[in-house]
Parts: sequence; structure tokens; C-alpha cells
Amino acid sequence: MLTFLARRLFVMVPTLIMISVLVFVIIQLPPGDFLSTYLNELQSQGEAVDPAKIEFLKHQYGLDQPLYVQYFDWAWGLLHGDLGFSFEYNLPVTEVVGDRLWLSLVLNFSTILFIYIVSFPIGIYSATRQYSWGDYGFTLLGFLGLAMPNFLFALILLYYANVVFGTSIGGLMDPEFINQGWSFAKVMSVVEHLWAPVLVIGTSGTASMIRRLRANLLDELSKQYVVTAHAKGLSPLKVLFKYPLRMALNPFIADIGNILPQVVSGSVLVSVVMSLPTTGPMLLTALQSQDMYLAGSFLMFLALLTVVGMFVSDVLLAWLDPRIRLQGGVGK
Amino acid sequence: MTDILRIKDLKVEFVLPHMRVNAVENVTFRIGAQETVALVGESGSGKSTISQAIMGLLPKAAQITNGSIIFADPDKPGTRVDIAMLDRSGAQMRSIRGGRISMIFQEPMSSLSPLHTIGDQICEAVRLHRKVGNSEARELAKEMLTLVGFADPKRALKTYPFELSGGLRQRAMIAMAMVCRPALLVADEPTTALDVTIQAQILRLIREVQSELKMSVLLITHDLGVVANMADRMVVIYDGRVVESGRTDDVFINPGHAYTQSLLAAVPHFDMGPDERLKPLREIKPKTGSLLALNESEDDPREQTEVPPSLALHPSMASEPVLAVRHLSKSFTQRKGNWFKAEHHSIPAVSDVSLTVNRGECVGLVGESGCGKTTLSKLIMRAMNPDDGSILFRGESGQMTELTGLDEDQLNPYRKRIQFVFQDPFGSLNPRMTVQDIITEPMIIHGVGNSAYHRKMVLELMEVVGLDPRFLSRYPHSFSGGQRQRIGIARALSLKPDLLIFDEPTSALDVSVQAQILNLLKDLQRDLNLTYLFISHNLAVIDYVADRIAVMCAGRIVESAPREQLFRNPLHPYTQALLNAVPFADLDHPLDFNKIMDGKASDPARWPAPFTINRNSDPKMMQFAEDHFVRAERADFTEIAI
Repeated sequence: MLTFLARRLFVMVPTLIMISVLVFVIIQLPPGDFLSTYLNELQSQGEAVDPAKIEFLKHQYGLDQPLYVQYFDWAWGLLHGDLGFSFEYNLPVTEVVGDRLWLSLVLNFSTILFIYIVSFPIGIYSATRQYSWGDYGFTLLGFLGLAMPNFLFALILLYYANVVFGTSIGGLMDPEFINQGWSFAKVMSVVEHLWAPVLVIGTSGTASMIRRLRANLLDELSKQYVVTAHAKGLSPLKVLFKYPLRMALNPFIADIGNILPQVVSGSVLVSVVMSLPTTGPMLLTALQSQDMYLAGSFLMFLALLTVVGMFVSDVLLAWLDPRIRLQGGVGK
Repeated sequence: MTDILRIKDLKVEFVLPHMRVNAVENVTFRIGAQETVALVGESGSGKSTISQAIMGLLPKAAQITNGSIIFADPDKPGTRVDIAMLDRSGAQMRSIRGGRISMIFQEPMSSLSPLHTIGDQICEAVRLHRKVGNSEARELAKEMLTLVGFADPKRALKTYPFELSGGLRQRAMIAMAMVCRPALLVADEPTTALDVTIQAQILRLIREVQSELKMSVLLITHDLGVVANMADRMVVIYDGRVVESGRTDDVFINPGHAYTQSLLAAVPHFDMGPDERLKPLREIKPKTGSLLALNESEDDPREQTEVPPSLALHPSMASEPVLAVRHLSKSFTQRKGNWFKAEHHSIPAVSDVSLTVNRGECVGLVGESGCGKTTLSKLIMRAMNPDDGSILFRGESGQMTELTGLDEDQLNPYRKRIQFVFQDPFGSLNPRMTVQDIITEPMIIHGVGNSAYHRKMVLELMEVVGLDPRFLSRYPHSFSGGQRQRIGIARALSLKPDLLIFDEPTSALDVSVQAQILNLLKDLQRDLNLTYLFISHNLAVIDYVADRIAVMCAGRIVESAPREQLFRNPLHPYTQALLNAVPFADLDHPLDFNKIMDGKASDPARWPAPFTINRNSDPKMMQFAEDHFVRAERADFTEIAI
């Protein structure tokens, strides 16, 4: 088990290196760089540009260096916790990002927690009471959740909250706390505001999770070992929790690595609509203006989440399923 | 009253949204104390529904609408419980289920949870029904694992089901069912998924445990051989009704109902005369037409139709070999480890196999699961490449050609000369193709004939396998297992192959359907002068169809002989063990449980002296009589073997 953990951790290193190369290359792929985009913008506004100044800026930002030098500078910085410099904001990336990263993390983890807490009881109920009115009802709600675009749900929620209750549920905190230091009142304000985006972002995830849990559990419920467990005289509830549910869990654990980036990217549009101070909208503008270090930092952050999520799910799977633990590495 | 269970007028209905289906009706029988009762019937007869009703495990849609299941617990004299009236998941039913009535199932592979240790699953059963602590439960579990034959029960407690072989899993399953010392054991096809030698061991185990724990057994099976060897009384079920019941010897000697008679007549047994035929419930009369008869010679077809094809056979062709396999070997490598250091284990699947199939002959290849018989058939088909040895095949030119060195393009002409019929009639037909398309496909792939020829050939093939040509536009799902297998045979015949390989073609079928297919294969072989390589684990089936038999174990052929010779005078210890382990549907030949070797039979290193195969000795095939070969170190094995 220990060697397994060590091996998994070790594999993460080359994976992250590969990802960083890819991220860098993809950001560089569109023609031009931040400066040329910036130039175009200035020229289209009819302003004259001094070529000497451009050259100076190019040199200043290291954009006249060959690509691989730029990459190594960036990667070296990353290793030392220096995320680079944002062209657009004229500030180090760390300062630009600020609380956004943590707020994003809080929002996304709450959403995942919400998805798991809501979908498990409903999924189990739907599977064990297949084709009952309750099952049909949840199926209907689930399909609604799947079909409705997140941003539309966000708009509807914003509108009705305003019209019916007269409150604004946009943002992640009351306006007076923005750009203020952290305090207990600010934390409470965040908690108060969190429910709306969590609900909006979580619905589709919850719906698909219910559908999958229901299908997985239905598969498992008809298996022979479940009949064996019943034949022992176990109570139905105990049978359900000890045997088929444990088997049905595997796909979910395997999914932890996927669900993180899914939720993060799914929340971009909602964040724009609900004006949430998360990383999503900023990533979008950074990519548009080719603010490469800012965009790169965000993408690396996402990749790190995915890789860590994969690691966690691998470890959990090996811990929960003896077939993986004991037969791992055996193949033809 | 000494009866443990009395079932009276039981009626079970499946309530579906738009209709009610009678699964079981008017079923009445009883099980006495310490008695073994066999419930015999083919698939779909309702025998499993009866067992589920007894266990209170009926599916939700099933309802007991009439009758009673009275259970009289010998531990609580005087009490009677009507299981039919109990709430299926109520406390009273749950205390009976698993505690007083236990069940073992057909599939040892899937009936234990893969995520929990054997010990966990057994201890759970103990603690449910007895007020014992954890350590006490482990002691009881250990005791029971010893009883069912685990050499190291302490270790067995900590193993997971997937670490055990099928036979051991079934033993663990039996231990789990027995650990609460139930009054009645319901065994639903307990040995169907197991090899014959393992089956014999498990049957013996059930008997031993039964007398040890003084319990009754309800044995649900379709195998009359198992019934004859195990049951005191038998109940024959057909279409959800009891058609006959009585003492086993009475029913076997003097079957009263026509269904019982036909069931007994459909089972192949070893005392059959050369011309004796099985009697299936419904016989197929194959009609061969002109196109298939062309197989024999490329003469004018009109002339062929006048001469019966069996007479058109050239006598000289009868003994010429179609296929000659020489010293064929194949091993698989198993990789264990990680990226940096990998250990490769080489596991021989087929080693030093030599086999000859002559034209017009049926060669039977018999062996237990994992012995390499399927790998051998794949090697002959060149679906896999052998490591060593040669495969000679007589092609259209009449010359023996070496197949091993050929590449895909060169192989193509030979591919259509060798055809294959698979074991699983459900998985081997594409569910999205009509029967017409399925049978035509091989001809299209190999560019044989035009569409008019295809149409004519398909019609003829349908007649040959006894299917109505009107079925041609249907899809496989609308056919029964036996009919699908006939479609598979028609597909294999469409290219008029020189050699047909059957891999367990009847093991998924009921006995009466098996008899039908076996008779069909025999008739086709006679009428069309076909050549078969017939692979099976069932000795009785091999005995019925094959002219020569090769016995395979651990990747090697250990004995080969003409049919009568092999059964009259088996020389190799493995062949003898196989023959000893087969339960005959015949009261005069009971299984001798003392002769069963516990797992030693299929381990080449543990065979006695001249037959032993280990690192030091690797015996070759020795000739004993004409056409009778045995793998042994010396030729003087006759005295030792007898």
C-alpha cells in the first residue's frame, strides 16, 4: 500500500510537467501576444504608438525571448510560488487573484458537497422504489435540472429574489465587505450568499449524479450476491447499505478527479451572471486579452485540482475495493 | 409428523402491468427429516420460483395466490409456520431464512460479495441468528470452513472470494449456508457451473455435511445424473406443475408420465449401442438439398440430387487426414510489477499437443475448464499464433498446407474451410442482424456466389437445420437457445467447410434441446460427410457424438483412443478420475464417492509414477494399442494403472 501511494505521488510529477508545457503552448498558440493585442486596441482607437516604447515593453516583459526561455522562466517562478506578472492589471498575479482563488475553492467544494448530500438519498430512494411516484417525480425534477442552462436558472433566481423578496442575491458577500479585510461578519456574509450560486451550479450535477447512482444501484440490486445477502436473513436496509451500495460507490469515487474541474468550468457563466468574485470571469478575460501569466496560473491551478482529485480517488478506490488493492498491476 | 416442509397447492403468479402469468400452479410435495428431495425440470419450468417461494425471496412482481408452505422446525417441536403467509422481509421470515432454511446458488463466482472477506460474510450470518460475540463467531466460521474442506481455515477467513477457485468458492458458500446449522438446505443447481471432478467433490461434501448436521436437502437441478446419485425422492416439474413425484428408483425404473420418460430418454449415457439414438422431445428432420451436397464433388448438381450424398462419398476420402496438429505449444505471459521492474511469468496454456482429424470423422476433445481446449481451438483457427509446433490442413488443392507461417492474406482461403460454432447461443449472434443476414454474411465476406446463390443457399440451410424459412427476416432475440444454436450451425455450414469446430455447443442448453442438437449434428455428419472437432467437458456428450476422443488436462493431451476403447479401458489416472466423477442418470452406476480424488486428479505433478509431469519428467505420448495413446514415461504402465 505504501509503495502504491509513493508510486502514485511520483507519477504526478511528470504529469504536472506535461500539463504545464501544454498550458503554455496552448496560450501561445493564437497569433500575437498581449502586446500586439494591446497595440491593435490602441490603434483602433486612433492613438499613435511609439515603436520604441513597444520594443522597451517587449524587452521588459521578456516577450522578445525565445519560447522555451519564456517557459522556463515561468515554470521556475511557479516552483517558487511566483505566479508571474499580469500585463493587464500591471500587478503580480498573486495580488490580482487575491481572495478569488479561495472564494472559488469554497464555492466549488460547497457545490460538490451539496451534490453528494442531495443526490445520494434521492438516488438510493429512486433505485429501491423504481417506477414509484416518488421515482417519477425525482426523474422529472432531475431532467429539468439537466435541461435548464445554469445561467438561465441564475437569472430567474436573481429576478424572483428581487421581485418577491426584494433582496439581491448576486455576489458572494454584501457590498460593504468587498475589498475589506477578513472578519467574522464578512465570513457570515459569505455563508449567507453562498446558497444561491451553490444551488444554481449544483442542480445539473445533482441531477446527473442521481441518474447515475440510480442506474448503478439498479444494476447491482439484481446481482446474485444481493440475493445471497437476503438469503442470510439480513434486513433489507442492512443488505442495501453493506452490499450493493458499496459496489455502486466505485464510479463516484473514480469520478472525484473529474468532478472538480467540471464544477469549476461550469461555474464560469454563472459567475459572470451573478457577478461572483471567483476565478472564472477573470480567466475568461485573461484568455481573451492573452494575459498569459494570469491565464496560465489559473489553468495550472485547475490542472493541479484535477491531478490531486485523481490521486485522492485512486487512493480511496484502492482502500475500498480489495480487487484493486490486491490485483493491481496484474495483466496479460 | 416427521416432515420438515409440506407444500400444498402452491400457486405463484407474476403480476405484470397488463396481465397475470402463472409461474407455478398446484404444486404439492413434502420433504421429510434428513431426506434429500430433488426438484427436476428444464429452464423455465418454475423450479426456481418454488425455491424462491420457500425462501421468501420471490421477486416483487410475484405473489403467492394460493396454497401453503408449512415449515415444521425440528428444533421447536410442535410449531408450524406457513411461510406463504409471512411478510417476506418481516422479522419472522428473516429468522427462518438463513437460520433454519439456507440456500446455496448456482454461480459461485457471483454469489459472494467481492468486496468482503469470506470471514466477514460467514460471521455476519452467524451473528444474525445466534447471540454470539465476534470471536465466537470466528471460531464457528473456522469450524465450518474446516468441515467443508479448507486446509487453512484461519487464512481462508481473510481471503476475498476472487482469490479462490470456483470449487473453493462453492465450498465457502456452503460453509456460509451451514454455519447456523439449518434444518433444510435449498441447493439451487449447486454444481451446474462446476467441472465434473469438482462437481463430484461438492456433491460428496453436501452428503457429508447433511449426515453430519442431520438436515434435509431440497436439490434443484436439471441434471438427472445428479438426481440419481443424490436424491431419495424426486419431483418432476413441467410448465409450473408437478407431473410426477415419487421415490427416485421408482421414477427412474418406471417413469409414469410421458414427460419424465422423454426426459430420461434424452440424456446421453455410456451404455448406448452404436446405432442407438437419443430421443429429444421434438426431433428435427434435416433435409439436404443440392447446393450443400456439392461439397463432395464438383460434378453436375443434377446428378448429385439423384444420388444420396452419403453414397456419393469416395471410400478413399474416408481416412485421409484433414487436419494434423503436431507438437503445438502456446503460453501466455503474465506481467507483474510496475513500469520499472516487471516480472514475466510464462503460463503454458497448450503444450506439445498432437492431434489428427480424418475426413468424415468426429474427434472429441474433452477436458475441464482451464485445460486449454478453447485455446487449442483458437490456435487451429489461427485466431492466436502458436509459439511452437505445426498445424497442417488439407486445403482445396488436396495438399496438406502448413498454416502456422501464413499471414492474413495467405490464410484467407483456409479460413472459409474451417468454421466454428460457439458455446453461447445468445452472445454469438449479432442481435441487430436478421437471420438472413447472419447466414449470408460468411458468403459475402469470402465472395462466394452471387445474390441468387445466397438466397437459395440460405433457404437450403434453414431446411437443413430444421428451421422454417419464414423465420429468415426475424432477429435472433425471437428464437430460443436451441434455435439460435441451429442458426449458428447454419452459418458455419454456409461456406461448406472441410472442418467444423464445436466449442461446447450444447452446454448452455437443456437436455431435451441438447439431444435435438446432438442428433442434428450426427445426421448432418452422415448426410453431408462433415468433419467435426467437438470440444466439450461433458463425457457423455462426447461419447455420443465422437468416433475418437482425446482427453486434455493442464494444456496437454494425456490420452487419446477410439471411443469404445477409452471408456472400456481408460489407462491414464486423469481419464479414470474423469470417468469416476461423472454422475450417471442410471441407478445401476452410482458414483463411488470414495474414488474421488480431492483436487489431485487435475494436478499433473501429483499423478502416480509413470504419468507424473514435473520439472524432472516430461513424458511423451506412448502407444498402447492401435490408435490408443497415453502420455507416460514408460510403456509398462498397464500393470500399474490397473
